[in-house]
Amino acid sequence: MTKPALDELDHRIIETFSRDARVSNRQVASELGVTEGTIRTRLRRLQNSRMIQFTVVTDYRMAGSPNLVMMGIKANPSHVQALAKALSDMPEIGSVVLMMGRYSLLATALITSVEAADQLIRRKIRTLEGVQDVEVSWSIGAPKYDARLARITGPAE
Amino acid sequence: MQIRESNDGAVPTLDELETGIIDILRENGRATNLEIAERLGVTAATVSSRIKRLEESRAMKVVAVSDFAAHGFEILLAVGVKVTGRDVDAVATELAALPEVFSINMVTGRFDMELLVALRSFDEIAVLLTEHVGNIQGISDLDAGVVYDVVKFEFNVAPL
Repeated sequence: MTKPALDELDHRIIETFSRDARVSNRQVASELGVTEGTIRTRLRRLQNSRMIQFTVVTDYRMAGSPNLVMMGIKANPSHVQALAKALSDMPEIGSVVLMMGRYSLLATALITSVEAADQLIRRKIRTLEGVQDVEVSWSIGAPKYDARLARITGPAE
Repeated sequence: MQIRESNDGAVPTLDELETGIIDILRENGRATNLEIAERLGVTAATVSSRIKRLEESRAMKVVAVSDFAAHGFEILLAVGVKVTGRDVDAVATELAALPEVFSINMVTGRFDMELLVALRSFDEIAVLLTEHVGNIQGISDLDAGVVYDVVKFEFNVAPL
């Protein structure tokens, strides 16, 4: 992933929009002492390079109050890439990362019932070629979480 | 925050207009009230008041999500934490105060907590382990894995 070097102004723009994603370019421009055009150009560049994304986060309640299920997967090294793809393609899986140490992959899903978790883990994941073990833990709550910091993987806006 | 307990208030129900507003903002959180209003055939004032209502009831929030890289974070660690001889919540509170710990989940299973830790360089591992986590009492096991690729990372549903 190519990361553009961000300067002080970029950081201040990101910080300002992190506080209020709906603030107008004009207001940010006057706050930071630059022109509206500068904010527009910088924002476009930050969006295109996937440094920032403006979107909506809906609350867990709106999705039926699911629990976050974490699945630590040990797999044959030669199967890791194919597994990453297969897991990413499952709509119920929200995140997939490749790991060194602990597990080969760590995946998470938002699940509203034990039956649905069993269906996903036993029938869909454990049956994939190369999976040796799936260690499952259920999140009971998140005392620290910031919805504004993430890895932006989607296509540039 | 608790996923269920803290949110045991009534689940806000969305009407067609609110669903439409959320769909547009999900695509582009910078769409102006006027743009949204024109697409949905209502006034900008209506859009403005609906967004306010949705945010106040914590049904949704329009956010500027920034990438780890935008903050100079080069290294992501997924860390399992086991606590012995001390209240797990007290340990979580101390871990939550650490700037490099950006999320904590209390979990069932072999560990009591799962952390996501973001670091700017490998030098910061020493600070994390010796000065920060090393000074917290009650941690009996720490299992850290290095994330070397993020293949999928959805963030549109979260505890608000």
